Amino acid sequence: MTAPDDHNDDIALVGEYALHLLDADSRAAVEARLREDPDLRALLRDWDDRLVRLSDEIAEVPPPARVQAAIEARLFGPEAATERGAPARVWAWLFGRRGALFGAAALLAVALFVAPMAMRAPQGPMMTAEIAAQDRALVVEARFDPATGAIDLTRTTGTAATGRVFELWLIADGADAPVSLGVLPDTDVAMIRVPQGLREQMQGATLAISDEPTGGSPTGAPTGAVLAAGTVVAS
Amino acid sequence: MTTVADIETYILRTGLGDRAAFSSLYSATSAKLFGVCLRVLNNRAEAEDALQDVFIRIWQKADRYAVNGYSPMTWLITLARNLAIDRLRARKAPAKPIEDMVDLAHSGPTPEEAVVQSGQDAQINRCLDALDTRHAASVRGAYLEGASYQDLADRAGVPINTMRTWLRRSLAKLKDCMSQ
Repeated sequence: MTAPDDHNDDIALVGEYALHLLDADSRAAVEARLREDPDLRALLRDWDDRLVRLSDEIAEVPPPARVQAAIEARLFGPEAATERGAPARVWAWLFGRRGALFGAAALLAVALFVAPMAMRAPQGPMMTAEIAAQDRALVVEARFDPATGAIDLTRTTGTAATGRVFELWLIADGADAPVSLGVLPDTDVAMIRVPQGLREQMQGATLAISDEPTGGSPTGAPTGAVLAAGTVVAS
Repeated sequence: MTTVADIETYILRTGLGDRAAFSSLYSATSAKLFGVCLRVLNNRAEAEDALQDVFIRIWQKADRYAVNGYSPMTWLITLARNLAIDRLRARKAPAKPIEDMVDLAHSGPTPEEAVVQSGQDAQINRCLDALDTRHAASVRGAYLEGASYQDLADRAGVPINTMRTWLRRSLAKLKDCMSQ
């Protein structure tokens, strides 16, 4: 039970939160309470419902077409932006050609280790990719720093099947075959170093994750299902 | 004519990864959400970037829409407004290139639209009208333009703590009025 005074405080506090008037710390504190407290969530929903009517006076302004193209490129890769609604070609490419790729790619052994992301401050422009399954059962955010050759990976959804591992692949734009960048550890956050010779090829490349036996693909090409893919774009 | 039910369906299907539904949702709602971003950011380039973030967030969060109890436009507008204000707060310098300034005369409702909208005047407007004019202007400024306490205090020419007290009292009164 909350006392009436606390409730009145909460009415104003959640109203301030809804208006976005709180500083970052207070905002985070309210968000922590919102996660735990359904009554507080109902109070926020009520404020949002009431306040949203103030936006009735805001006129519609059609955004330029480039915005939608940019959104689709960010979410689905550059091809989606020009060919909206078409089946994801990356998938057809990966599945259709996987059988022909055995032996074509040399397995590049790369050192893999986990490092706290905050330890290295980014220098210069970064590239990003969202490596995601079509049903989003596996989602890994990748951030590549061309200056250091490091890819920071954050797995937000999905885990490897028991006794299996995730392996990361690079398919450079126009390349014949995927190149292994290494096996992902169990941790949600990981860092993989891209070999010097491949760093130039990251822009516009596809990063893909396949399901492999422990230790990674024994052949140098994906042997299990390709679970997720995403395009590397400048961020 | 797209109905609220259509928009809800688009969101739910977007939550299942349906790109066509996502595209329909964009067509149906992007102009309103861009208007919201423009009103907060008052800068076209930034509003375009914010709108990108909005739709990326919609794609990512649509699968959780069904359980949050929001009506579709409230959810979308609230999300757009919050991301636009996040961007506003993150601005390092408040510089606004003149050429990028939005002509506010074109972002308000046309007289025709204003009539249609006032035909079903929201309770919140009636309740705001019952407040002190300066207090009501502060609430509107916070909501529509994403003004911070400091912005509101500067505009009203009062100390920030006074503004905070005004605002919190106004919110309590508003809630009271709207519950009647």
